[in-house]
Amino acid sequence: MSDLKIDRINKAYGDFKALIDISLDVQNGEFVVLVGPSGCGKSTLLRSIAGLERISSGDIVLGGRSLKNVATRDRNVAMVFQSYALFPHLTVAENIGFGMKIRKRGRPEIEETVTKAAKLLGLHELVGRYPRELSGGQRQRVAMGRAIVRDPEVFLFDEPLSNLDAKLRVQMRTEIKALRQRLGITSIYVTHDQEEAMTLADRIVVMNEGQIEQIGTPLDLYDRPVNLFVAGFMGSPPMNFIPCQRVGDSLSAAGAAIAPSSLPSHLPEKLVLGIRPEALVFDSEGALEGTVEVIEQQGPHTLVIVRLDDGTMVYAQAHKHIRLRFGDAVQLGFDWSDAHLFDGVSGLRIELNKDGR
Amino acid sequence: MLERYLTLALRSIVLGIGVVWSAFPIFMVVSSSFKTPIDIFAYPPKFIAFSPTLENYSTLFRAWPQFISGLWSSLIVTVGATVLTGVVSLMAGYAYSRYQSRWLTLSAFSMILLRMLPPVVVTIPLFPIVNQFRLNDTHALLIMLYAAFFVSLATWILKTFIDQIPRELEEAAEVEGASLLQRLTKIILPLSVHGMVAACVFVVVFAWNEYMFALIFTSSEAKTAPLVLAEITGTLEGVQWGVLFAAATVQLAPILIFVILVQKYIVIGLTAGAVKG
Repeated sequence: MSDLKIDRINKAYGDFKALIDISLDVQNGEFVVLVGPSGCGKSTLLRSIAGLERISSGDIVLGGRSLKNVATRDRNVAMVFQSYALFPHLTVAENIGFGMKIRKRGRPEIEETVTKAAKLLGLHELVGRYPRELSGGQRQRVAMGRAIVRDPEVFLFDEPLSNLDAKLRVQMRTEIKALRQRLGITSIYVTHDQEEAMTLADRIVVMNEGQIEQIGTPLDLYDRPVNLFVAGFMGSPPMNFIPCQRVGDSLSAAGAAIAPSSLPSHLPEKLVLGIRPEALVFDSEGALEGTVEVIEQQGPHTLVIVRLDDGTMVYAQAHKHIRLRFGDAVQLGFDWSDAHLFDGVSGLRIELNKDGR
Repeated sequence: MLERYLTLALRSIVLGIGVVWSAFPIFMVVSSSFKTPIDIFAYPPKFIAFSPTLENYSTLFRAWPQFISGLWSSLIVTVGATVLTGVVSLMAGYAYSRYQSRWLTLSAFSMILLRMLPPVVVTIPLFPIVNQFRLNDTHALLIMLYAAFFVSLATWILKTFIDQIPRELEEAAEVEGASLLQRLTKIILPLSVHGMVAACVFVVVFAWNEYMFALIFTSSEAKTAPLVLAEITGTLEGVQWGVLFAAATVQLAPILIFVILVQKYIVIGLTAGAVKG
């Protein structure tokens, strides 16, 4: 296991810039998740670390060694692919032991290591089977097994769970988490699923259009997103964005005056107020007025979609027994300590005084 | 209903004619190889040897020792040409499948062009080259010639097979530490083995039976079985038909059995890429 340092790397395909000035330090043993919409460059970044993509400039340093001129096969990284990429003509045991065989390890050593890994992953009864005879979850485990036996410096996961059905995905997510806590492996994990990122990561890297938007712990990103993109990406249902205007010392949103007691000075005129669904409360004294559009029962709670007077749709998470019907007029309130304010033009976060009533 | 029966009947008739057309001569050759000279020319013809004899075979092996060495030559040339074609086509098919460039397109085009020329056209310019490298009457020359003629077809078959192997498998092998050669031998080859067999069948059949190049470029050392067969027909004492048929049977049997065994792969190879799945 080693530290991984990504130093200002760029990757371009012709005129298209897939990665722009990406820098990232990953500590020994850390689990870092790269998350972002499809086409944001997260997979390209992962493949660059593996050497499957050639970077146009910059450097990747693994355990103190620059990987600039190191071929994929000499990088000592392990990778789990989205399609699992199991070798269909080899058995489970042969798949897991493939790397060791290539490295010409002795047969007893391979056998011992493979058996150990298979036991760890609950595959010991399947070692003689071929990939086509396995279920999706079992294939996923074989791919994991192939990665662990290598004892690599870093683990790379490329959307390893996205081919599984929802239930199995949650189960495998838990298994990956348990496994990493057991093995303490430096890992880079790519996903487009923010929930997966939140549950697995020590730190999350949010990417968009080839650039890093924010790096931080899951709660950092959830509680203090640096811009509208991160705020909208992390969390499901997403954060509500309500356009508002600065009017003197006050704010006007959806036709209502809403203001914390102390607004930061030098506010721009156009602003966006961000409030997560769970921070919006149905309150007859609430400042935001609207009508109920959709009601979704979700079990633990009820999700209500409200059309505010200016036409903005917002999600509000309510108690599961709330009594509302389509078309009801409602008032929504919120606590300023739960609110986020963004510059309406640049989209950047504006820091509010946390005690700012 | 009637239409279906008609189609079926028509199909059976056409198929029947085809079978008789191709199998009857073979049947006559094989059965005659077990007949005495009188029975061979009996009229009305005897389709089955009523008093089978191995006389023809013993004469063949006694009087024509060069037939044995011819078979040996044929075997060496066939195996050599097949292996060479297989190795070259696997690598070429891989290159055409995985890489793209103007030069590759050009090389693919010239490879097919060579294949489209009638063999005779290639023969004449070959003479000076063959002489310069002292390749006359060698197995190596025939191996290279036969391989050259089938590399294009084999490459194409293998390319279509390799196209269907996901790149991720190779990437996974690469991450696991496999070199290009190891990827070729441990991933690509085992996963395109059907295509490889299909491609090789064509070379085997061609190399085993080829006459013209062998006639032109060999004289004694590398003389193949088909040439000896031709010699048997042209002896001074007149043609010994029984011996000729025995030789033809010996030459024909292995290739016939081989083709019957691998015919499944011939179909797979010829339809490679034609249907998705």
